[in-house]
Amino acid sequence: MKLTVFTLCCVILMGYAPQSLSRPVSYPGGWTVMQKNDKNAHSLHVHYSPTAKYSIGYRTEYWREENWQFHGAQLNYLVKRHNAPASQANFYLKGGLGTAHGDLGVPDSEPQLAAFADIALDWETRRYFTSYENRVYYAEDIAKFFRQKARVGIAPYIGDYGDLHTWLMLQVDHITGERDNISVTPLVRFFKNEYLVEVGISDKGGILFNLIIRF
Amino acid sequence: MKISITAILFMTLFFALQSHAQHGEHEHNHNHEGQVAEPSAASNDMGNAACEDTINIKVSGLVCDFCARSLEKVFLKRSDVAGIKVDLGKGFVAVATKPGLTIDDATLTKLITDSGYNVNAIQRGCEHG
Repeated sequence: MKLTVFTLCCVILMGYAPQSLSRPVSYPGGWTVMQKNDKNAHSLHVHYSPTAKYSIGYRTEYWREENWQFHGAQLNYLVKRHNAPASQANFYLKGGLGTAHGDLGVPDSEPQLAAFADIALDWETRRYFTSYENRVYYAEDIAKFFRQKARVGIAPYIGDYGDLHTWLMLQVDHITGERDNISVTPLVRFFKNEYLVEVGISDKGGILFNLIIRF
Repeated sequence: MKISITAILFMTLFFALQSHAQHGEHEHNHNHEGQVAEPSAASNDMGNAACEDTINIKVSGLVCDFCARSLEKVFLKRSDVAGIKVDLGKGFVAVATKPGLTIDDATLTKLITDSGYNVNAIQRGCEHG
């Protein structure tokens, strides 16, 4: 029920406000480093874009409560980009394949096959931002769950190229499985040149800190 | 939670005021002698490009500074490009080629597309929209 209501809200939101700044696909020859932390997990994704349509890279995640980690390859594919005079919208598909290691510190814990699939949509103008992303995780006996998140954001001022840009955002996360819950995180996003930082705190008390650097 | 939101609001207000002050400086700089583009940061700089070495490209989708960095990365690795200037407000990308060199429209279109945008118009020379 929670899942259905949340998904419906996201679909409606995307309908009213037809981007992710973090762009999982860069320019040909571009490298990106994404380090993200929230109440649930820490992740690191380093990717390289051979073309403007897809990127490939390494991903690792550590899920704190369940105490397991993922290491694997991730492919990000830009399905469609719509450029309008004052807005941009993107539709991405992402997938990852690797191994999951549970019960860290236990000598006989064997790595298991792990995979995830992801759909991401975003739309933004210089003033408004909205995005939706979901992901299905499969890690044999370690974890199987569905996660989705939606964001809305507004820029309190419009900066010129090269200025420090600031966005106020609200992120809603829904995760199924053992920790089935919905959390709301107000956050602030700053970016300047090739550096982007996000800081926030959820209604459950979890700290969000994300860092993205493009090369 | 309340403290964090308050801190975020204060930080935002600080940066908003700082940005406003920077805009004031930009406006002041634009009023000098109708130059094509004033020199700013080294990577976003047209320098003193002559009109015949200037290409103005009207693009769509140019809404995000962080994403538009790809334009600099794509153009500035070319040996025929002397500088580039991005104008988010007008949706223009100005490219300065090295003296005596030029880039054809098809190549410009591909470079803009590779950067994540679409070309609406390409104008050569100092005057643009």
